[in-house]
Amino acid sequence: MSFDALVAYILERLPELWLRTGEHLMLTGCSTLSAMFIGIPVGILLYRTTWLRGPMMGVIGILQTIPSLAMLVFLLALLKKIGVMPALIALTLYALLPIARNTLTGLEEVSAEVMEAAEGIGMQEYQQLMMVRIPLAAPVIVAGIRTAAVVGVGIATLSAFIGAGGLGQFINRGLALANTNLILLGAIPAALLALIVDFSIGAFEWGLRPERKRDKKGSVQSLMRQLAFMLPVALVLIGIVTYFTKPGWISESATQLETGHRIVRIGTKNFTEQLILGEMMAQLIETKTDLIVERRFNLGGTMICHGALVNGEIDLYAEYTGTGLTAILKHAVISDPEEALHYVTKTYHERFDLQWLKPFGFNNTYAISVRAADAAQNGWNTISDLKESAKNLLAGFTAEFAERPDGYPGLRQAYTLQFGDVRDFDPSLMYEAIRNNEVDVICAFATDGRIAAYNLKPLKDDRNFFPPYHAAPVIREEILKTHPELGDVLSLFGGLIDNARMQRLNFEVDGKKRRTAEVVKEFLKAKGIL
Amino acid sequence: MIKLTRVFKTFDGGRSYAVKDLSLSVDWGETLVLLGSSGCGKTTTLKMINRLIEPTKGTIEVNGRDVMDHNPVDLRRQIGYVFQEIGLFPHMTIEQNVEIVPRLLGWSIRSRRERMQELLDLVGLPAERFAERFPDELSGGQQQRVGVARALAANPTYLLMDEPFGALDALTREALQQELLTLKNQIKKTIVFVTHDLHEALLIGDRIAILHEGNLEQIGTKKDILDTPATKFVKDLFAIKRPSIFT
Repeated sequence: MSFDALVAYILERLPELWLRTGEHLMLTGCSTLSAMFIGIPVGILLYRTTWLRGPMMGVIGILQTIPSLAMLVFLLALLKKIGVMPALIALTLYALLPIARNTLTGLEEVSAEVMEAAEGIGMQEYQQLMMVRIPLAAPVIVAGIRTAAVVGVGIATLSAFIGAGGLGQFINRGLALANTNLILLGAIPAALLALIVDFSIGAFEWGLRPERKRDKKGSVQSLMRQLAFMLPVALVLIGIVTYFTKPGWISESATQLETGHRIVRIGTKNFTEQLILGEMMAQLIETKTDLIVERRFNLGGTMICHGALVNGEIDLYAEYTGTGLTAILKHAVISDPEEALHYVTKTYHERFDLQWLKPFGFNNTYAISVRAADAAQNGWNTISDLKESAKNLLAGFTAEFAERPDGYPGLRQAYTLQFGDVRDFDPSLMYEAIRNNEVDVICAFATDGRIAAYNLKPLKDDRNFFPPYHAAPVIREEILKTHPELGDVLSLFGGLIDNARMQRLNFEVDGKKRRTAEVVKEFLKAKGIL
Repeated sequence: MIKLTRVFKTFDGGRSYAVKDLSLSVDWGETLVLLGSSGCGKTTTLKMINRLIEPTKGTIEVNGRDVMDHNPVDLRRQIGYVFQEIGLFPHMTIEQNVEIVPRLLGWSIRSRRERMQELLDLVGLPAERFAERFPDELSGGQQQRVGVARALAANPTYLLMDEPFGALDALTREALQQELLTLKNQIKKTIVFVTHDLHEALLIGDRIAILHEGNLEQIGTKKDILDTPATKFVKDLFAIKRPSIFT
């Protein structure tokens, strides 16, 4: 990308960049603040209640080790909400450990001689704590807050998985679309933000040093001291203000209040095809109905999308029959496409009050793929052909595939096949990995544009192991009742997109780096739908 | 007046005693030195007077009232305490350190300020130069002067001094000892002074109580102790090195 193009690229995204940075600050700032309000008193409590220390620090330590995505899924189940709330809670829980621990350590480390003096001159116990012990522990406590906030900037990028925005949104979208520019657009500001947060709390620490107190009023030093105190506060305020004044095109929560039920919230998982399907449904609904669409795209996987749908946090998203069958309903694989669709339709209706609409047409099943050159050299055509050399092959799977019964565990049984080693990848990195010879086998998606673009060969599923993965809109029956036109409009998609077409659409976006909205619009126009 | 009657203190449930059957009294305006080597119970005794440590047995009276009947916080605010390790608050300026007890007692800012200036002058650290400094910007001797000023701030009747000059170099120590002698005459306090230094004890004490392994060996003026040592321990103690200035 030339320099001019780069500048143009950034300028074009500047308003959103500003907004995401603000959201990011808000998420980090508010979670660090609430962690302070909990962590410091907890640290003080633990200092005074020795027997509680072990169990309590244990619990806080365990919270820290929960993987972030698991934490988000858990909070979604608990709160029945996606968006800012679960993200803030997760970030707060992660920030607790450094703050509580440093508070405890700081209080413990105050010299016994000084504390004896405090007691000996006649301070009450709480005066000893407030006038001597806490002020002397303050630098250590602030250092803990600093750690929590800087780490928080990093963790907050994961909030995008649950629709809470922040700079992670760019990273998430970039990963989904295999778009390095987008990833950097999120990652570089996030790194800068971490530095700024670190600096500002460092400045706060500097202002807190006792000798700063005697700076003459109105002197440069005392001015700097006041600035140093205001810096972290200002950062949090900027975040909060940006968050609450964000323009309507980002969040329709305000519109939602005004217009009541006239809003449809569409979710997607975090990969290209999902974004395309989500955008397709959104554009169609926007043109063919008078409903307002809120795009809650790029949610962190099946469980979060399904959880959000069941809890009414989104109204529809595109799901795959095989995924619904095995991952959601925990049912055994059904190989017949009709039968599979029938089963999920029936069970979703009974169990979740959710409706499966007409499938789009393509079957995005897993395609165990190898480099075409390797396939030619070894004469691999079917998955069974891999059996001999499997133990020498390195497999790169998505985390979901590695665990799902219709993924690697089932595949291993069906083909009595064991790869030498399996690595988990983010879906988009998986393709880069096989292209760069880091792995030999991947679980490609049958509709992925990169299969053709990267010269990969999908191997034939000769034992019909993989269930059909026909994509279809899944929608809450409640909204379908209020807005029956949604059903009519979405049925226009029935059978419209076959595998080859989906591959091309995917490649337009993640191969050619074109904008999803543009590609979708072009397609819908060509089809005469728009 | 401070009066100890048959005071015992054990830290290990009675297997050993830090202070054993100690009775003594400190008269108005007097400076009593508790002299002994480390572990003899002198600091324990001092801390029992303001209830930093509570006696196992026996009574300690301050102003004719058992310390156990005092609210410990109120008691401590009436008794100035100069600590062994100086014990200034490192995050407070000299001014704030000196003012702390008056502040706890709720004095007005103005009277606190006046008192602080008066005291810093008294210990030879003029307020205009020292008030805004922090303890670690002062030498050890200056810090301990502040420690004395802090102990005197609320104008207590009693002053407890726990080896206040122990950590200082010899020259500074001697200067401070001389200053204390002068100060003593100016302020007319009842002082209990703990030391392990014979020379210091003889210089400062109106009377000296010699403690050994928790027992009181002898209490009396320096003349009594030097002329008629009560026990072999006392005799040996002063026989080793009879300070020349008192002969």
